Amino acid sequence: MRIVVRSAAVVLLSLCSLIAALPQTESAAKKAQVKFREFRLENGLRLIVAEDHHAPVYSIAVSYNVGSRDERRGRTGFAHLFEHMMFKGSGNVGDGEHSLLIANNGGGDNGTTDEDRTLYYETLPKNQLDLGMFLEADRMSGLDITQESLDNQRNAVQEERRLRVDNQPYGKTFETVSNLAYENFAYQHSVIGSMDDLNAASVDDVKKFFSVYYAPNNAVVAIVGDVNTDEVLAKAKQYFGKIKSNTAPPQIDMDEPTQEKEKRTTIEDPLARLPRISVAYHISQGETDDYFALSLLSTILSSGQSSRLYTKLVKRDQVATGAFGFAEDKRGPGLFQLSVSPRPGKDLGEIEKTLYAELDRFKKEPVTDSELQKAKNFAIRSHISSMSSSLGIAVNLADDAVNFNDPNLINTEVDKLLAVKKEDIMRVANKYFTDNNRTVVITQPKAKPAGNQ
Amino acid sequence: MLQTIRLRKTNQLFMTTIVTLLVSAMVILPVSAKQAVPGQKTTGKNTKIKGKAPVNKDVLKVTLPKPYEATLKNGLTVLILQDSRSPKLPTVSMQLQIAGAGDLFDPKDIPGLASVTASMLREGTKTRTSDQISAAIDEAGASLGAGAGFGSSAATVTASGISDNIDMLLDYMADITLNPVFPEKELTRQLTNQKIGLQNLRTNAAFLANERFNKAVYGDHPASVRTTSADALAKITPETLKAFHDSHYWAGNAILAIAGDVDIKDVMPKIEKAFGSWEKGTSPDMKWPEPPTPAKSTIYLVDRPNSVQTNLVLGNLGITRTNPDYFPLLVMNRVVGGGATARLFMNLREDKGYTYGAYSGFSSLQYPGTWSASSEVRTDVTDGSMKEFMYELNRIRNEKVPEKELEEVKRSLIASFALSLENPQSALSNAIVSKIYHLPANYWDTYTDKIAAITADDVQRAAKKYVAVDHMTIVAVGDGNKIKDILKKYGDVEVYSIDGQKVGS
Repeated sequence: MRIVVRSAAVVLLSLCSLIAALPQTESAAKKAQVKFREFRLENGLRLIVAEDHHAPVYSIAVSYNVGSRDERRGRTGFAHLFEHMMFKGSGNVGDGEHSLLIANNGGGDNGTTDEDRTLYYETLPKNQLDLGMFLEADRMSGLDITQESLDNQRNAVQEERRLRVDNQPYGKTFETVSNLAYENFAYQHSVIGSMDDLNAASVDDVKKFFSVYYAPNNAVVAIVGDVNTDEVLAKAKQYFGKIKSNTAPPQIDMDEPTQEKEKRTTIEDPLARLPRISVAYHISQGETDDYFALSLLSTILSSGQSSRLYTKLVKRDQVATGAFGFAEDKRGPGLFQLSVSPRPGKDLGEIEKTLYAELDRFKKEPVTDSELQKAKNFAIRSHISSMSSSLGIAVNLADDAVNFNDPNLINTEVDKLLAVKKEDIMRVANKYFTDNNRTVVITQPKAKPAGNQ
Repeated sequence: MLQTIRLRKTNQLFMTTIVTLLVSAMVILPVSAKQAVPGQKTTGKNTKIKGKAPVNKDVLKVTLPKPYEATLKNGLTVLILQDSRSPKLPTVSMQLQIAGAGDLFDPKDIPGLASVTASMLREGTKTRTSDQISAAIDEAGASLGAGAGFGSSAATVTASGISDNIDMLLDYMADITLNPVFPEKELTRQLTNQKIGLQNLRTNAAFLANERFNKAVYGDHPASVRTTSADALAKITPETLKAFHDSHYWAGNAILAIAGDVDIKDVMPKIEKAFGSWEKGTSPDMKWPEPPTPAKSTIYLVDRPNSVQTNLVLGNLGITRTNPDYFPLLVMNRVVGGGATARLFMNLREDKGYTYGAYSGFSSLQYPGTWSASSEVRTDVTDGSMKEFMYELNRIRNEKVPEKELEEVKRSLIASFALSLENPQSALSNAIVSKIYHLPANYWDTYTDKIAAITADDVQRAAKKYVAVDHMTIVAVGDGNKIKDILKKYGDVEVYSIDGQKVGS
């Protein structure tokens, strides 16, 4: 739906911007392309290099093919806890020395873990190329950790959990959604893990995890910025080339059984003062035709103030203060997640019905031309902004290689989005937005309501 | 997008540009205790240095690009920085900062009026409805927004998109800035949603800590206000907004800053056309009541039932942006808590495991900003964390920074300058700061030299002045039943509810 058109002037205006936006943005997308070269060292390490000489800076991203999906029962949160241990010392680098060297030389570093992969990265001035490569290679070679350093990071991670989940209103809502929606343990449990499982992690677990997953043949290194490709390749052979490869880690069964009927639960949140409606539908893996159609659908549904949900729930009916939805771009079967913040005193059941009616419209009516074009222009915009830093490019190249075996997605993804047709959107709406495929979590507030402010 | 990011530490890399962008960039927070903690050796073990990694001894010398600068007849300052990439990234981003239109200029009985005025700009103009504006912006895949901000002297209108959309972006940006009509229907909806939003805001521990800290530090100064209120929202009508807009939005106080793929010759006439009719106006009066000077430290406990962590903030008044102590304070802060390799992080997290992160930071503005240290710690180590905070704050005051640590910190600050060349926004933000605070033309060219010149004595002097351990404001947001008695060890305690009412002492 577009907003009700009120005057001839509006029609003219939207037509103009539509006609104007089409060729402009699409040619803009074509201008933003990343040229890169790819190598594989003898030990199986995949190396991707993109030169970009506009600033005297480079970024290195190392993506390991291991995430929380690889965790076993009783050790949830371990992949992320392990990520912290990668900063606590390796063969030639002391506890904390890694980040200190990066900071002291003007750079920035961090690590991040999700369901599918674990990523480490640095950005540095270009004259510190050896430093970044040496540090990443050294911790790929082997760790030097102690019971003490594990206990220390266990504490830090447990505080991270408290900060992001246990001490935040709605913190447990997201955890509850995936917990209820998934039957397969891989995506069912949260990345941050449970306190009990974090407590159970041992130094022996760390050693075993390293030996199974942290090997050059299970990682991708992307280096982007003011570098020379041949020089990077030579240094990669020097620093990473001597690391021994390993047998490939076990494949994880990601199959999710078809959901037979709606799942639903209500949780009480002692820190929240207002309810929240969270809805999830099982969808396909990321980077598939279905995913691209769902991604555009989600833009039409909830991006910007002209989106369907904002227009209907926030502006017209005025039953909510906010509403959004998005399609997860995961390597295994993802979720299409929706979240509505109702105004106080509104009937949650009615809001749910309105939400489902909006989803049903995608099944019955094709989206309009201008909606589709809008969604495509959003996609182009976000494609271009993902190229605004060497770090952003390096992360995309490394992650797409690890998750989808295709680093060139950085260049082709936008074409795939632009190829989506109205019929595709209607098809995926019918395929996924069914009652039986739905999981609903209602968060009810238990905090004392506000007094006078 | 939602819960996927699990970072090892607060992501400073991604934050750098945002922080420098804001004129009133609050860097992070800090407190004080009554009794100075005796100098027991509780500090973290030093990082273990094996010293085998290859480090290039040289620091890359860089010069930031200078933006094109022009002033329109009506006094509007224009700064343009072109993207240096080749080929250029085909995007443009614009921000219009209007001094005198921020929440520092709210009437006393309507906190938040400037913020509501700004956020209502895109809800309708003389020739376009709210829906029309949203439709046009969304269809282009562009962004258009406006906001003011508590503690800020300026309102800011932002627009960004594909560079081919620049005509349209300028047109809409000027239209919402100059011709807003504040339609009643859109206002009613927005006020209702904001009122509801207040309920959520008051469940957020970080907000509660920040609010209480600023209230205590700033007293009658308008920077003490950090949120609107239900009472204030009830007083806002289209007429109040129109009156505020008519008297606070002037071209002569505004800076339009543009970064990206733009042709200066081509865009200047378009800027003239879009903004030429805007009136010059009068300069805002930047005189405010003096913030209080506390004689002793006070602890403000915000009782947030069911909390599993205590949010601690310890700090005091700092400096204005033009204060010559800026550089000593910058280096001093970096030593104490300005990053994940600084003392607070190394002690409270990497040694004690009390928290996910502990930092310090400072703001420097037209009026005195704050310096503060802060952390979120699990409830049962609130006492231990207070002890370590006091230990570190006393240490930076009482002991000279070892030469090696000082050199490393200075090198870190200087070498990181190269990273800001990646994004034209960084250099542009620096240029905006220069304009606002009338800094000398060579300010950013000599910035790193000034850092290099800081000595251990300078750092200690800054610490004694700006880490006021015996008259600090200390805020703790957490479970009152569990932490009140602990906090009493560190000073007099006043207790507040999450709704901001004083409920005990």
